[in-house]
Amino acid sequence: MLLAVLSGFFVALGLPLIIKVFKGPNTLWVSLFPLSLFIYFISKLPAIKDGETLSSSWAWVPSLGIGLDFYLDGLSLLFTLLITGIGTLVFVYTSSYLKGHIYLDRFYAYLSLFMASMLGLVLADNIITLFIFWELTSISSFFLIGFNNDNEASRKSALTALSITGLGGFFLLTGMVTLGYVAQEYQISALATLSEEIQANALYPLILVMVFVAAFTKSAQFPFHFWLPGAMKAPTPVSTYLHSATMVKAGIYLLARFTPILGNHEWWNGPLIIVGSITMVYAAIHAIFRLDLKAILAYSTISALGILVFLIGLGTDEALLAAGVFILVHALYKATLFLVTGIIDHETGTRDVSKLSGLNKVMLPVGIAAILAAISNAGIPASFGFIGKDLIYEATLHLGNMGYVLTGLAVITNVCLLFAGFLAGIKPFIGPLPPAFSKLHLPPATMWVPPLILASLGMVFGLFPMVVDTALIKPIVSSMTLGTPTFELKIWHGFNIVLLLSLLTIGSGIALYFILKPSEVLFAKATRFEKLSPESAVNQFAKGFVSFSSKWTNFFQNGYLRYYLITILSFLSLLLGYRLFYGVEIYVDTSTLSDITLYEAVIVLIMAAAIFFTVFSKSRLTAVASMGVVGYCFCLIFLFYSAPDLAMTQFSIDTLTVILFVLVLYNLPKYLTLSDTRDRIRDGLLSLIFGALISILTLEVMNETVTKDITSYYAENAYILGKGKNVVNVILVDFRGFDTMVEITVLAIAALGVFSLLKLRLKSIEKE
Amino acid sequence: MSSPFVVLPIIFQLFLAVLLMFCWTQKNLQKLISVVGSLVAVIISVVLFAAVWKEGIYTTQAGNWVAPFGITFVADTFSTLMVLLTTLAGLAVSVFSVGSVRNARIKFGYFPIYHFLLMGLNGAFLAGDIFNLYVWFEIIIISSFVLITIGGEKAQLEGAVKYVTMNLLASVVFLTAIAILYGLTGSLNMADLSLKVAEIENRGLVNVTAILFLVGFGIKSAVFPLYFWLPASYHTPPPAISAIFGGLLTKVGVYALIRVFTLIFIPDEFMINLISGMAAITILSGGIGALIQNNLRKIFSYLIICHIGFMIAGLGIYTETALIGSVFYLTHDIIVKTTLFMVAGLIFKIKGTYSLRLLGGFYKEYPKLSLLMSISLFSLVGIPPLSGFWAKLFLIEGGLSVGNYWLVGFILLGSFLTLFIIAKVWAGVFWKDSIHIPVKMQVKYFHELKPLKRQAMVGSIIFLSVLSLSIGFGAEYVIQVASKVAESLMNPQDYIHAVLGQTN
Amino acid sequence: MEILLVILIGLLYAAGIYMILRRSLVKLIIGLILLGNGANMLIFLLGKIVKGKPPIIEATGKALEGLYADPIPQALILTAIVISFGLQAFAIILVKRAYKVIKTDDLDEMNATDEDL
Repeated sequence: MLLAVLSGFFVALGLPLIIKVFKGPNTLWVSLFPLSLFIYFISKLPAIKDGETLSSSWAWVPSLGIGLDFYLDGLSLLFTLLITGIGTLVFVYTSSYLKGHIYLDRFYAYLSLFMASMLGLVLADNIITLFIFWELTSISSFFLIGFNNDNEASRKSALTALSITGLGGFFLLTGMVTLGYVAQEYQISALATLSEEIQANALYPLILVMVFVAAFTKSAQFPFHFWLPGAMKAPTPVSTYLHSATMVKAGIYLLARFTPILGNHEWWNGPLIIVGSITMVYAAIHAIFRLDLKAILAYSTISALGILVFLIGLGTDEALLAAGVFILVHALYKATLFLVTGIIDHETGTRDVSKLSGLNKVMLPVGIAAILAAISNAGIPASFGFIGKDLIYEATLHLGNMGYVLTGLAVITNVCLLFAGFLAGIKPFIGPLPPAFSKLHLPPATMWVPPLILASLGMVFGLFPMVVDTALIKPIVSSMTLGTPTFELKIWHGFNIVLLLSLLTIGSGIALYFILKPSEVLFAKATRFEKLSPESAVNQFAKGFVSFSSKWTNFFQNGYLRYYLITILSFLSLLLGYRLFYGVEIYVDTSTLSDITLYEAVIVLIMAAAIFFTVFSKSRLTAVASMGVVGYCFCLIFLFYSAPDLAMTQFSIDTLTVILFVLVLYNLPKYLTLSDTRDRIRDGLLSLIFGALISILTLEVMNETVTKDITSYYAENAYILGKGKNVVNVILVDFRGFDTMVEITVLAIAALGVFSLLKLRLKSIEKE
Repeated sequence: MSSPFVVLPIIFQLFLAVLLMFCWTQKNLQKLISVVGSLVAVIISVVLFAAVWKEGIYTTQAGNWVAPFGITFVADTFSTLMVLLTTLAGLAVSVFSVGSVRNARIKFGYFPIYHFLLMGLNGAFLAGDIFNLYVWFEIIIISSFVLITIGGEKAQLEGAVKYVTMNLLASVVFLTAIAILYGLTGSLNMADLSLKVAEIENRGLVNVTAILFLVGFGIKSAVFPLYFWLPASYHTPPPAISAIFGGLLTKVGVYALIRVFTLIFIPDEFMINLISGMAAITILSGGIGALIQNNLRKIFSYLIICHIGFMIAGLGIYTETALIGSVFYLTHDIIVKTTLFMVAGLIFKIKGTYSLRLLGGFYKEYPKLSLLMSISLFSLVGIPPLSGFWAKLFLIEGGLSVGNYWLVGFILLGSFLTLFIIAKVWAGVFWKDSIHIPVKMQVKYFHELKPLKRQAMVGSIIFLSVLSLSIGFGAEYVIQVASKVAESLMNPQDYIHAVLGQTN
Repeated sequence: MEILLVILIGLLYAAGIYMILRRSLVKLIIGLILLGNGANMLIFLLGKIVKGKPPIIEATGKALEGLYADPIPQALILTAIVISFGLQAFAIILVKRAYKVIKTDDLDEMNATDEDL
């Protein structure tokens, strides 16, 4: 199983190379890869049917408990079959659809990458591994949606899709880490037994929110649904594969997978029912006003996903059964309709449903596939869709009073969906053929066979439900309920209210089809309220966020060095002040202080005056000279207080600096006071505050008594061990000789820098 | 264990720099020495890392003066890891420089100063003495000053003035902090300080001193609200220089913060909150700053800030798990940010601009380069299982375990912004059709370069991309290293024992 | 005396900060030099100042005895002075070069790099 998942990644890497080597117009052979995976997974069917589960694992990051652990049960089997089965058909279809496209090799590579990620996602038995594959599906879909990369709309919708699903991804990450932290267990199959503990934990609501947002973004639930219609910019095989059959169902998979762990709690059921029902009704109503075939399908897909979320939210055995069946039903008919749309688009050059009709006359097999899919979608008796719809109504009806409302919503949704299905599957094929299309002919078999297979399966499963009943559906349900399901899929349930509802749905749907004709006018009316839609809200928010970002950034990074310094210094002063006045008892211990002698006082006074002149002098020369005086006074202080070496160094360095200053900066522009009085007062205040803080801090530190064992060590050993009488020198060249070496290096580097600053003039050709 | 081997990474870079100065005019010889020397430096640091990994902390007492009386160099797992990463990034940038740095700059000592910078970095990582750390910081500062101004163009100088001023201010703050710390303890040895600071009764003063260290190192590591020098300057020097800056300079600050706040100043609640808050706003500021930029290198500059926030967040959460996250992120970020700035440089060499508005068409024209560049771009985002992903697991779990939910929220926000920005860069530079960009006379375009130079530039990017891929896929090994680092950071007794001996 | 020095240190820091907040590059450098002086003085003071007892071992002695000035801060300051000289010299030349290239000493006119290029 490990190989089955990973093979996709290797294929993705190798494919562009291989395709280059076997350069030929026909790339049909690439489909052998998904086909072999499909065969592999279908061979596991008997084992799963007998209630077994298969697993494999490979430790990857054992210290985190993360491994490539895979686990195959009914639920994952359903998804693997969808992924590889529809994958095979999409690969076949692509070989004609994108025939001769220069980036066909990349396309297949992305598609394989996606398929592998998706398989990893549904097979993962470790919550972190699940997240890893989840992110990979988002990324590969980013590349697939943006496949037509020279088209700006395409790039934009790829970005939107990635933003929304990526956002969800981070929520999932948090949710999973939290879950792992709470349960101290990363293995999904083991988590179910810890369900009670998890739900009792205070972090349970947090996990729920995270998982919900992740699922809702991925599976395009209201209010995150809008990326999906946008993602229709992708080539049709992508829309078919990712945006109807597999990736968008990842959110559904997540919810289904976590039902036994997080479910059966009112905080789980409530939100899912609410969001699911809003989504299904909202999107279904949207679907019926669209003109673009792909948009119709996109909204009806969102609506179908809403139904699934809703069913999982109901959480009863019946609802979960209905969900399991509906996943399969929907994948079959929706993929068909997408593939058909791709053919129509490819052949006629338009997807505008109001312009299409009568195509049956030129491409009958395509028409048959489409009509079969529309029938299954409509839930007309004898189709698989009929069984699916029945189960949904049964699930909602058994809920008591609340059930009637929900059933009503389900009926409205289904009526709209039926209409949308007819619009996409029947309208283009019946009626008169416009003259413009009379020269069209049937596309190659590689394009029409895949939809026909899918559509026929929808009918076969409908007529003979026992084919899938025990083999697939029961294991699915038991992986969600963890029990043994006691039901049987039947076409005929007898005359009852469910049947009545089904007939009502079909009747009103067909009636609607005859009343409501798609047109620009209707479309315009329906989109009048776009301003209030979540999409424009998000766009507004994004715009606001960007403008906040530039305000914030330009406020701080405004280009003025002094404001940067003011920010830094105010921050420092604030913190220093806070910690000083709220943590330190401020007092001055006068007993330890030495007396002030007159000449010292005079020197300090001179220094203060020199500082004053340095700061306020109007002449550069005076300022520099006063600065020099400050330095010389330093020398004297050093001299008085037992630091002759320091005095000497300070003297020479100070002299050098002043000379350098004068020599170098002699011919600079006029020395002006550039800032206005207000600025100067502000800066002066800040400086005084900072200076005062440092002074107070110094005073307090001086109160502390310190035992200086290192100093005493030097005092004792400088001569004995260091062979020097001047302890400072011994420290510099011996005890802390490394510092001195580095200090000399600093000078050397500075010299190099000065040299290059003075001498290096880049010629214009060398600038960059 | 005591061994003079510890200072070898420092001495060797000094040796290289001096050797290079003797070849002042021979630019080809300089290139050769730099590349071969950097390779040897990598070997040295690998050996040192392996030795420390196997046998525990190595120390060197310079001049054989017993700690705390002399200057101590300490090679524990954290510092040797940092040295290893420095030499790896250093090797890549050295090779990249061979391809991208113009001869005029080489003639004015580019390579010697570059190796002085590496020496300073290694010194800072290995220093076990706080004043010695200051001295190494000065080496780093002065060499980076010279590197950022070498060539002396207008933009460079404008950036440099801000860079120099704020870094000198940081030095002053750092020096002030050392003065006060010495006044409180009479010691400079970091292990000794760890013991002595713990004994000080006047905790208030210790806390004030900690603030000075926080701000001093905070400026260097570019956290909010101290980061302004970075976006003002990182996009101005030649690509190779901004690569090493982007990869390593801020990380020394982060290293110092983590070291000082785990060894000497154990943060109290106020400090924890302060660091967390700074981390959160750093993430936000960096992320939204990058969001609105159009210059590729500016985008990456702001992303540095954003991700510094992640590392500081680990310190703000202050659990072993979170520190594993910080150290892992540090490892990943050094490699990936260096690569990204080299990638930006390569894009510039090819197209002659950094502007997102003008760039385009890479995907069509350079499919293989695009694939290569996508590795570092998406590693940065942390698309699992690439290298940026793993650290976040630890940070999130750490944040949850102490109930710091809002910081976790900011980490997610930062990740999301990074994702969005990189996707935007991808769409703009790689997907969008190429726009006609006026040819600049002063740029020597990629296709005009000699093949060897082109290979040097691409080769160094490949080298680091492979490294970042192995960090991602071999996460287990990095996690083991990071766990060991985090464990010893939270329990500094081993460090102290190794330096001061068992008697203390 | 310490009190006076403490005030002096505060004054040096304040003056330094005030100067680096000016718009002129030259003042900026002067400010940085003053700050450096302040920090050195701080190290000196906090090492506990002692009058007239330099840490030099008497010709006949083998160790420092009695009251003596702490030699460590002195060594640190020496290193710091020399390092800051290197940095200052570089900064001074940088100012000159910047003035030549940018043709101004006014920092407010040096913000092209912060704008969107």
